[in-house]
Amino acid sequence: MELMLLYSVFNGFIVGTFYALMALGLSLILGLNGVINFAQGTFMALGGYIAFTLEPYVGFWGALILAPLVAVVVGVVVERVLIRPLYGRDPLFSLLLTFGLAMIVEDLVRTIWGAVGVPFSLPNYLNTPLSSSLFFLTGYRLVLIAITVVVTGALFATLRYSRIGIRIRAGNADLETISALGVNIFFLRAANFGIGIFLAGLAGILAAGQLGLSPDIGSELIMPSFVAIIVGGVGSLVGSVLGGLIIGIASGVTAAFFPAAQEVVIYVIMAAVLIVRPRGLLGQEGLFE
Amino acid sequence: MSAVLEAEGLQTYYGKSHILHGVSLKVQEGELVALLGRNGAGNTTTMRSVMGLTPARNGHVRIFGKDMTKWPAYRIAGAGVGYVPEGRKIFGHMTVHENLLVPPDRAGHWTVATIYELFPRLYERRTSKGGKLSGGEQEMLAIARALLLNPRFLILDEPSQGLAPVIVQEVMRMVARLKSEGTAILLVEQNAFLALQVADRAYVLSDGEVVYDGSAAELAADTARMNSLAGVSHGA
Repeated sequence: MELMLLYSVFNGFIVGTFYALMALGLSLILGLNGVINFAQGTFMALGGYIAFTLEPYVGFWGALILAPLVAVVVGVVVERVLIRPLYGRDPLFSLLLTFGLAMIVEDLVRTIWGAVGVPFSLPNYLNTPLSSSLFFLTGYRLVLIAITVVVTGALFATLRYSRIGIRIRAGNADLETISALGVNIFFLRAANFGIGIFLAGLAGILAAGQLGLSPDIGSELIMPSFVAIIVGGVGSLVGSVLGGLIIGIASGVTAAFFPAAQEVVIYVIMAAVLIVRPRGLLGQEGLFE
Repeated sequence: MSAVLEAEGLQTYYGKSHILHGVSLKVQEGELVALLGRNGAGNTTTMRSVMGLTPARNGHVRIFGKDMTKWPAYRIAGAGVGYVPEGRKIFGHMTVHENLLVPPDRAGHWTVATIYELFPRLYERRTSKGGKLSGGEQEMLAIARALLLNPRFLILDEPSQGLAPVIVQEVMRMVARLKSEGTAILLVEQNAFLALQVADRAYVLSDGEVVYDGSAAELAADTARMNSLAGVSHGA
């Protein structure tokens, strides 16, 4: 029983790291770009499939580095060509755009890689359980957690201490004023979008190694990621990570003990949090507050 | 003397409302020009059009001899135009030091280090959140932030707003000092009396049109005219 609980919590935690990475990217893009990016899941899927395609040539580690970067290139092109003309308009425009884009790219993925999922092969040394009693603890899962921790830490350090991070935070509060202070907001928004897409692409390859790949992997993970943001508090990046992990663990545990409620539990949590704290767990004005 | 700013026939709209009806004004090198007018006369809109924040639909903005009418604000700022917005627009959730790291480095006298020398109070409060500062400290921070661009031309929108008279005097001394160091300044003020003390020339706006264009001293001396022109206040 204890093992079962540990097993389900750990499973949920792993899925939670994907939600956390997705929610972080969504939060960043919502903050500075003012875009509710429904295509975030698409970029996640794209990251996974690109990794799948690259892996035979560059190996797992090569794909892990290259796939998110390829996703970033695609993302920055999308930002430049499709999203930039919509800045300053009602957020509904970009929401509809990214929603449509998500559907188009999902079908594109089906056309290119097939409607049936593909297995994503991991190196054997990563895929074997570390001990027979803790059968769910594989090297891959530890690597996955380590990568998430390092990347999230690097992101927070960048936002906290670097010039570009300071400008992103300032721009979140007041884009017009940073522009009047000489900050190239077109570049800054593109860079910020790129960072958000990098997180999606990374989540894509990490999830591919764990859940396998199917064309709808992105659309399956996008809603819980939005829920994660709301639970954590809109505008708080720490909240996005926290929300992602809570949602992940909750659905993991529910999946083990009460499978029928696995889908609904996250919305129950969201409703409960919103009743007690309407702004979410850490929701306040501005980032890092 | 060459012109730092030449604005000609600015027509600016917010959505459908027509705010500026052909505003023209000039600021020469090293000159301090006051832009007066009662609330809603179009002062802030004029500044925003010059700065590229609300670009004029018709008319031209030439700064340093270049047509910048359609330039985005960051390029205008990057060309050496400092802007201190109405309400100061400090990043309240960020520290004083972080506020000073927002503008890009532009070669010149002003760096974060020299700013701290000029404003020791900002240095003392460098780790405080911008939102925790007093109004006067926020105004200093807003001016400091704009100075970091090493501007040849500085736009100040309502620097005295909401400040105690002592602090206002301090801000005005700073403005006068920047002018004496050769920076051209365009100063919007509700407090006309105050602005005319430091300005060389003045414009008065009323309903989006220039109704006075002349020497500051002459306007200050003629209080009846000041009243009839725009109903501007004489200050405290």
